[in-house]
Amino acid sequence: MDNAAIAKGIREAAKKLLGEGKVDVVIGYAKGTVPMRDYPYFAYTPEEAENLTWSGFCCNNLALYAIRRPGRMAVVAQGCVSRNLVGLVNENQVKRENLYVIGVNSPGMVDRRKVQALFPGQTITEVEEVGDELIVKGVGFAEKVARKKVMRQNCYTCVQRNPVISDELIGGEGPASHGGNLDKVAAPWEKLGSSERWAEFQESFKDCIRCYACRDACPLCYCHVCFVDESQPQWCGKTQDEADVATFHLLRAFHCAGRCTDCGACESACPAGIKMRRLTMKIEKDIRDLYGYQPGMAIGAQPPMTLFKPNDPQDFIK
Amino acid sequence: MFARRRFAVLKNLLEYAGLEPGRLHFSWISSAEAQKFQQTVTEVTEAVKALGPATRMIKDIRKVA
Amino acid sequence: MSSKILSKDKLDAFLQGLKGARDVFAPAMVEGKVGWAAVEQASDMLTEFSNTEMSPKDFFFPQTECMMRFKNASGDPEGMIMMAEPALARPRALMNIRPCDAKAFQVLDLIFVQDEMTNDLYWRDKRERTACIGLACNDPCPTCFCTSVNCGPHHEAGLDLLLVDLGDKYLVKVLNDKGAELAKDLPAAAAGDEAKAAELKIAAEAKITGGVSMDQVKSREVMELYEAGHWDRVQESCLNCGTCTFCCPTCHCFDIQDEVQGESGRRVRNWDTCMSWLFTMHGTGHNPRGTKKDRVRQRFMHKFKYIPVKRGGEIGCVGCGRCVQLCPVNIDVRRVVNDMNA
Repeated sequence: MDNAAIAKGIREAAKKLLGEGKVDVVIGYAKGTVPMRDYPYFAYTPEEAENLTWSGFCCNNLALYAIRRPGRMAVVAQGCVSRNLVGLVNENQVKRENLYVIGVNSPGMVDRRKVQALFPGQTITEVEEVGDELIVKGVGFAEKVARKKVMRQNCYTCVQRNPVISDELIGGEGPASHGGNLDKVAAPWEKLGSSERWAEFQESFKDCIRCYACRDACPLCYCHVCFVDESQPQWCGKTQDEADVATFHLLRAFHCAGRCTDCGACESACPAGIKMRRLTMKIEKDIRDLYGYQPGMAIGAQPPMTLFKPNDPQDFIK
Repeated sequence: MFARRRFAVLKNLLEYAGLEPGRLHFSWISSAEAQKFQQTVTEVTEAVKALGPATRMIKDIRKVA
Repeated sequence: MSSKILSKDKLDAFLQGLKGARDVFAPAMVEGKVGWAAVEQASDMLTEFSNTEMSPKDFFFPQTECMMRFKNASGDPEGMIMMAEPALARPRALMNIRPCDAKAFQVLDLIFVQDEMTNDLYWRDKRERTACIGLACNDPCPTCFCTSVNCGPHHEAGLDLLLVDLGDKYLVKVLNDKGAELAKDLPAAAAGDEAKAAELKIAAEAKITGGVSMDQVKSREVMELYEAGHWDRVQESCLNCGTCTFCCPTCHCFDIQDEVQGESGRRVRNWDTCMSWLFTMHGTGHNPRGTKKDRVRQRFMHKFKYIPVKRGGEIGCVGCGRCVQLCPVNIDVRRVVNDMNA
């Protein structure tokens, strides 16, 4: 099923749910006002449900909006969003009985920076999806681009494009993965020496403007007070000094350990194009290697950082 | 035992990001193991001294602009 | 003042002239992104670009700025010693500033330098020691809406010189004495050049179609706008991240902290954002902007109502469209203002 047909299915499902009063709100995506930026949309009435859409530009993780939200809600969920919903249910932030999952197989979302990079300095005015291709239009040009070429990196290596839970599946199941091997790309700095690693780390995060969009776009970050906002004591300085920036990113990543579904919402949200998955991917690879755990795959699974086994690896402890 | 998992991941992360191996040490020491404590502190001190002053993850406000 | 002409093959000579007395910065490709960089020769500068991803406000208002240093050596008979930070070592010139970003400098002048009592020397000194040379937009972006917020693609406010691209040469509009000094060696423009620039201005303005309406926002009472129902919808998807405020050329809020190490330290100010709950958190535990809605509303009310009311009709937005492009959840300021105006 193509995206247009899925969008229609989502709208119909939403209209029915809202019309029958089964949920108070349907949280989905609507078409953005700029190209490649479809945005989180809240439909409260069957009329508003007409605005819902589905495309390769749905880069936000809607599980974020389910956190501690009162009332009954339906959430449009591709694989990663559904995994985060499962994680939130397991962490007692969402009640499963208040949640209706409108499941969708993910086509793999588009990395708008990759598309822009193909047209340096040019203004893109519209991007249309036609099958496996995008038609990129700008002032004085219209070109076809293979979707595969501009897909977000995390969508290439995704292993769970189908929702793990759904109360209704729009468009049926599709392929589970794009065939990319996550373990091969998850920790590229492992082969480097310590100094090169530090150089790569600094280089990767030097454009950070401390807006915290990565944190705020992430459905794992639901603390009432984030560590960077604490002032007594102040764990993390507020300046652009490399130690402050590094502290923020290392700790943010570490707080996602055993919980991150590699949904890519952080990278898509970043206004500076920073690849913060370079840290979270490494952590999740360690979690798989050390504890054999993948976050968000099953309701009732215990997060690995809240567990221990007597024979957990401890080579690093002398 | 919970901390063991967290430290395992944290140590890997910090060293993955370029913290020199040898700056971060973990050890099990019981309150009854005075000698092991003394020995460990000596070893840690020597290991860190051998690495020289830390330059990574250090904010020296006397130097920053 | 009369206009001058700068032939494109003389651009490098002009740049080298500027560099005699100043460090020169201009939009350039910086690792695949359009950003601001120090330039050595004309070929370092981008001439075909819409705008830089981040605004140039940090030349005058750096994201992190040391305000002074201090020490309090124990036993020191002089007690606490405070030391001023050295001012900008060398004057600067910014080339090819887009008119919206220059207009933002003028808006921020009104805020940082109001009167004797409100006279931010950190901002003011850098402004005084920097020459601002603009580059008019002949091809505005679809997200530009400068013409509806007291600005425009050929706007001159905040600049010393404005360059208008006439093909093989620039018309150089001299806007003040500082500009006259910079352009003193350039030949005068012919009447035909000025006429062509005027045509380009009208053509550029006509290309801006996605504007906002402000008439009702102007006439409505503050409380009527504040209590309007649409804020409940605007805030829904907002992440309360700082992207819009940090990329904004006119957002200017900051947080001052003292950082202490041993017996010395520094006072440092950092950009802050009204999107953060911490921004207004009181020591008592009370937060006057405790909800996401309060914070989202604040940003738009500040720009489009409070600043106009307090600063003689100036608007705290120049229509550059950066927040429209960068907001992770596509909260489009044009849509919000039109809702305020509806």
